[in-house]
Amino acid sequence: MMQGNIWISLNPLGSAQSMTLVLRFQIRPSYGRATFAPGTSSEQPSSNPQFRGLRVILADDDALNRTVTKKLLEKLGCEVTAVSSGFECLSALSSAENSVRLVVLDIQLPEMHGFEVATRIRKVRSRSWPLLK
Amino acid sequence: MDVLSQLQRQLADFLASLYREGFVDDQFTQLQKLQDESSPDFVMEVVSLFFEDCEKLVNNMAKVLEQQVVDFKQVDSHVHQLKGSSSSIGAARIRNVCIAFKTFCEAQNREGCLRCLQQVNHEHAQLKANLQSLFTLERQIVAAGGSVPAMQ
Repeated sequence: MMQGNIWISLNPLGSAQSMTLVLRFQIRPSYGRATFAPGTSSEQPSSNPQFRGLRVILADDDALNRTVTKKLLEKLGCEVTAVSSGFECLSALSSAENSVRLVVLDIQLPEMHGFEVATRIRKVRSRSWPLLK
Repeated sequence: MDVLSQLQRQLADFLASLYREGFVDDQFTQLQKLQDESSPDFVMEVVSLFFEDCEKLVNNMAKVLEQQVVDFKQVDSHVHQLKGSSSSIGAARIRNVCIAFKTFCEAQNREGCLRCLQQVNHEHAQLKANLQSLFTLERQIVAAGGSVPAMQ
């Protein structure tokens, strides 16, 4: 994991494929789809140690996609704040201070386009981060 | 076979048929795997969201398609959204109709679009009925003291 960095993943149109996109980046090749292995105990055995406690802000204006993606990230062990607009995303980030590690953005957010949100975040946070497509 | 085993067998068979007939695909399996003790109704909640979404989109599309001059770009954007959300929950048949639907939008073919819209309605109704049956079976299993396994 990249300590002390923010990763921004653009979630194009909230399709199921883009969810996998976020995960593939984080997962070492040996995991592959294993992170989707059924976890029946309340211990969440499927959670990846890299993700445990990872604070994530998820921005997607589509309620269905937001619900599914949030659950997926929580299942991996992330702590998710779900918002539905670029503005909410920015204010959630500012109140979370430096603890947020990952921002998942839907590229088509109402009022503020995903790229603009990313640009604004970059202005606020001086540490470098890669942009994932 | 006791009641519980019978119900579980029924559920497994029913679920298998839904996959076989293309009503749902692997994404639906993923959705089921996300359900756990902390969110025991997750699948049902997501599915309800989808059906609400679907109805809204279909109504919007119908309105646009009945205009004198059809704004196919608007129809296309609604279809695109429906395609996305149907993919998200694994509603394979609906997603497939959307693929054809998009082609008609691009061709600015009103008749084709209207046919697809009808198909979406049809598939929506069928899927809704099927999933209701699924959830009922699951509830019966839980009531009989069993638990609902994720589909392998």
